[in-house]
Amino acid sequence: MTVLTHAFTPGPLVSGGAVSVNLMAPIGRFSVRVRESGRDALGAAIGLELPTRIGARTKNGNREVICLGPDEWLLQTGAGETADITAACAAIYAATPHSLTDISAREITAKIEGPAAIDLLTIGCPRDIDQIAVGDGCRTVIDGISVILWRDGEASFRVDVWRSFAPHLLGLLQTGSAELSA
Amino acid sequence: MSSFRVPGRGRIDHQSPVEFSFDGKKITGVKGDTIASALLANGIHLMGRSFKYHRPRGPVSAGSEEPNALMGTRRGPGRFEPNTRATVQEIWHGLEATSQNRYPSLEFDIGAVNDRAYMLFSAGFYYKTFMWPKSFWDKVYEPFIRAAAGLGVSPTETDPDHYASRYLHTDVLVIGAGPAGLASALASARAGLRVTLVDENTEAGGTLLSEPQAVIDGSQAWDWVEKAVAELKSLGARVMTRTTAIGYYHQNMVALCEKLTDHLPAPAANMPRERMWRVRAGQVILAQGALEKPLVFDGNDRPGVMLAGSAQTYLNRYGVRVGNSAVIVTSHDSAWYAAFDLADAGTKIQAIVDTRANPDSTLLEGAKSRSIRVLAGYTATRTEGRLRVKSVRVNPVSNGKVGAPETLTCDCLLMSGGWTPSLHLFSHTKGSLAWDDEKQTFLPDRKTEDCEIAGAGRGLWGIGAAINDGAEMGALVARHLGRDAVAATYDVASDRPGTGISHKELPTDLNPGKARAFVDYQNDVTAKDLRLAVREGMHSIEHVKRYTTNGMATDQGKMSNINGLNIAADALGKPQPKVGLTTFRPPYTPTTFGAFVGYHKGDHFDVTRKTPIDSWAEENGAVFEPVSMWRRAWYFPKDGEDMDAAVSRECRATRASLGMFDASTLGKIEVVGPDAVEFMNRMYTNPWTKLAPGRTRYGLLLGDDGFIRDDGVIGRLSDDRFHVTTTTGGAARVLNMMEDYLQTEWPDLDVWLTSTTEQWATIALNGPNARKLLEPLVEGLDISADAFPHMSIAECKVAGLPARLFRVSFTGELGFEVNVPAAHGRELWEILWEAGQQYDICPYGTETMHVLRAEKGYIIVGQDTDGTVTPYDAGISWAIGKSKPDFVGKRGLERPDLVAKGRKQLVGLLSRDGKTKLEEGAQIVLDPNQPIPMKMVGHVTSSYHSDAAGRPIAFGLVEGGHDKMGDTIYIPMPEGVIEAEVTGTVFYDPEGARLKL
Repeated sequence: MTVLTHAFTPGPLVSGGAVSVNLMAPIGRFSVRVRESGRDALGAAIGLELPTRIGARTKNGNREVICLGPDEWLLQTGAGETADITAACAAIYAATPHSLTDISAREITAKIEGPAAIDLLTIGCPRDIDQIAVGDGCRTVIDGISVILWRDGEASFRVDVWRSFAPHLLGLLQTGSAELSA
Repeated sequence: MSSFRVPGRGRIDHQSPVEFSFDGKKITGVKGDTIASALLANGIHLMGRSFKYHRPRGPVSAGSEEPNALMGTRRGPGRFEPNTRATVQEIWHGLEATSQNRYPSLEFDIGAVNDRAYMLFSAGFYYKTFMWPKSFWDKVYEPFIRAAAGLGVSPTETDPDHYASRYLHTDVLVIGAGPAGLASALASARAGLRVTLVDENTEAGGTLLSEPQAVIDGSQAWDWVEKAVAELKSLGARVMTRTTAIGYYHQNMVALCEKLTDHLPAPAANMPRERMWRVRAGQVILAQGALEKPLVFDGNDRPGVMLAGSAQTYLNRYGVRVGNSAVIVTSHDSAWYAAFDLADAGTKIQAIVDTRANPDSTLLEGAKSRSIRVLAGYTATRTEGRLRVKSVRVNPVSNGKVGAPETLTCDCLLMSGGWTPSLHLFSHTKGSLAWDDEKQTFLPDRKTEDCEIAGAGRGLWGIGAAINDGAEMGALVARHLGRDAVAATYDVASDRPGTGISHKELPTDLNPGKARAFVDYQNDVTAKDLRLAVREGMHSIEHVKRYTTNGMATDQGKMSNINGLNIAADALGKPQPKVGLTTFRPPYTPTTFGAFVGYHKGDHFDVTRKTPIDSWAEENGAVFEPVSMWRRAWYFPKDGEDMDAAVSRECRATRASLGMFDASTLGKIEVVGPDAVEFMNRMYTNPWTKLAPGRTRYGLLLGDDGFIRDDGVIGRLSDDRFHVTTTTGGAARVLNMMEDYLQTEWPDLDVWLTSTTEQWATIALNGPNARKLLEPLVEGLDISADAFPHMSIAECKVAGLPARLFRVSFTGELGFEVNVPAAHGRELWEILWEAGQQYDICPYGTETMHVLRAEKGYIIVGQDTDGTVTPYDAGISWAIGKSKPDFVGKRGLERPDLVAKGRKQLVGLLSRDGKTKLEEGAQIVLDPNQPIPMKMVGHVTSSYHSDAAGRPIAFGLVEGGHDKMGDTIYIPMPEGVIEAEVTGTVFYDPEGARLKL
């Protein structure tokens, strides 16, 4: 098994089999919280609509948001765009109270792709993966670790996980990938 | 080819010989054999010795319910398994099997002396014999019983295999792939549902594999199975063989254990040996069929005595005749067909002995056409033969009188006491059972889960009945799931429907007190034992079970429960349902620990959270300690140092110049919104309104009971934004508690909480030179003593990295905590390390942190508090905002008990001799000369050697401690009583001058 350091260098972790796992480059991430009355205004400041159905996503350029709760969204952006977003949201804060908290460094993202991607996820995720529509996502657990799971395609997923939990999770994905190629 | 193998017969590959060893002897079977079928094909019935009496035993069944033919199997180094069921384990070239519970050999076993002493080993033997003297229990009896208990030997080497697990969601889970299960799965799959069909056998088909004569909708049974499986697969159903449903849990969660490699000679390296599936099913269909019961009579356990249905399976699935000369003893029609199949394959059937006086006429015709002698209305009263049955003694029974005996010679005795519906999984759900008087068995009654029971599992008999019931149930669950589904109907020809009766032990003309008439083969429980248990006062089936151990072996009484119940009910003079049935528990069959462990072993045993700086600590020789889920650097020993020496050096270096500490694990919560300050006022005891942005304050969190829950330094970044820190272990708990109050009590507050624990790497710099190190690296902030006093916070850049800088101290020295985005944690650490060399910067771990804080009297929540300590008890009531209208715990603090005198209060403790370090957790008394048990008035919570104080220091919780300053208290230890003085908790720099540098 590859020894994982906490550098989490972007690149392939598992490749060449029925499933590949890649660590993705650092990006900007925010936890976005606002009441219903301020949702549209805050969305406008960020530059996209904040969806209301839990699990639904919207995207505009580099900026993508997923609804995680009635008043909670996760926003991902290009690494260089965090200052602009912070400023745009600060500008409407007085009229539209909200919480925008930078969590860019809190977590890392692994991309899981390939015909066995769903099988790999079911090694640790108790959710019914079939029921997550392509283009949706959810907050769930894998091997007891809280993650955000994004379904980008039939067999293409992203998993966001807090840094300190990542070696445990990625270790399982490596073990599972080896098992699936056996 | 042995004479017992029937050419062309069975589902094995006659052309592919497979060699394996049994007790070191080379045995040749064929591909598709189990160990048992291969040995039987070689004429070997003797496969083991029984548990208590060491009686010679052979397989009594052909499946997973086998109680006798248990063996050790070895699959190479470290891969030894005891108690492998020979009737299940498939052979492969090189497999090593060894018999168990015998010495020196299977044929001659010294332990068999127990069998001669049979009359001594009655029910409750252990309870009676090992009762007295009581003092013998620990040293003599228990080790003896443990040594004697259990078949086989536990493996001693580390298991080199790996084990896997999966989650699976399915609309319909069908358990059992016999005729009922296959028809159920087809009906559900045809309705467009996601279907999973599992079977513990190597292939689907169930009883159809043993009944090849049946014709279903014009197809021979095996062809029909093949077509059914192919159709299921084409419909997308998941068909899993060698997969046992081991447990049925709440809300249709079923655990499956899939065996992946035990049948392979050379499995791929990455292939797991077993995989545990956690299945969540919309609907479950239990199609587990029925298990055949033995008849209970003297000598019903000799090698060669076998269930008739199993003999039929050995013939039709494995092409093995279990003997040349058979006697059938039965109370059910099914055994007649076994006799007919064996007769047609060349085994001489000496007689069919039926306990019923008037067998069905078609059966009689079948026997007549094969010239088989029929003894109807007979009983079996004894067998003979040491290592293999040689004869059976049978007697006519008329009007309850047992007539004159006749001895029939044979080399195998095939019995059937009828069939027990397999309701183990149903029993796991706590579904209730109802006694069926006609069938003399329990059937499923009230259900607690979304499940249906199909086929023989609910008492139906015959392929036609089972398969059509399966189709009905499959369509029914599809309709439950909102699909239009109509059950197919199946026409079954050459079916073998039938009936039977159920018995207690068979009547005999011999002394029943001397009969070795076994009910539970694996635990060696006889009918006599059960009756004795009842005579000795065990009137509940649960007591009878525990007293006799009937049904308590690894087979959980699959064969013995109903026979045991019949006998116990007879002895009690009550009908069976009044006596009841014991509860089956998971797992259905013995399951490896590996399957339960799955991936959680070695490095992956459990989550170990590591900070971004952990790798530096590891490279620099840190010793680690676990703190909640984290591992933290404990201390950094230099060559040859023990912990005390390293900690002492780290403490000195920090107080003398500069120490650095990885505080990244501190919990962090960002509290944001217009009502942030109001929220903080309500959550924490302290007042927050007047805390200016840029300032920090020690925050104390109580539960609503008034007891201390957590603490931490909290900074106000702006009017509406707080950076809250919590203890390392409290991070998740505190956030949950805050969310709970926010969502349920104060949903009107405009404030939001975000965990930022892992957003920030936190490096604490402490010591008189801390500012000198930091100052040149900081941009955009004046950190001079006046501009950035103690308890300040600011956003700035440190070494070019965006940072949140705290001026705060948990050591009593000038201190800063630098927070940078976690990805840059190690980078900053190394910059500070390099730049700090001029100040002899010293990395220190959690132990030094504990000592330095204790010298200053700072408490650690969870060490100096235990969930029953108030701020008053801990001496930190200054942290309570007394003029605040409310905060969590305010009313709790007013409870009479919490303001009463004599509560345990946190005090300093100094050993009177100035040298003895107290032991954390040690109990405290006021008078060491009082009689034992002494009144304990408290305990030591923290204790260290303090370099700064030049002596050991300690904290303790002591009743009324705050009023005992200067008093002597006593700590009785095994080596003697330690005297200590009660003091204040600050041992170093009480004026706090060093903080203000």
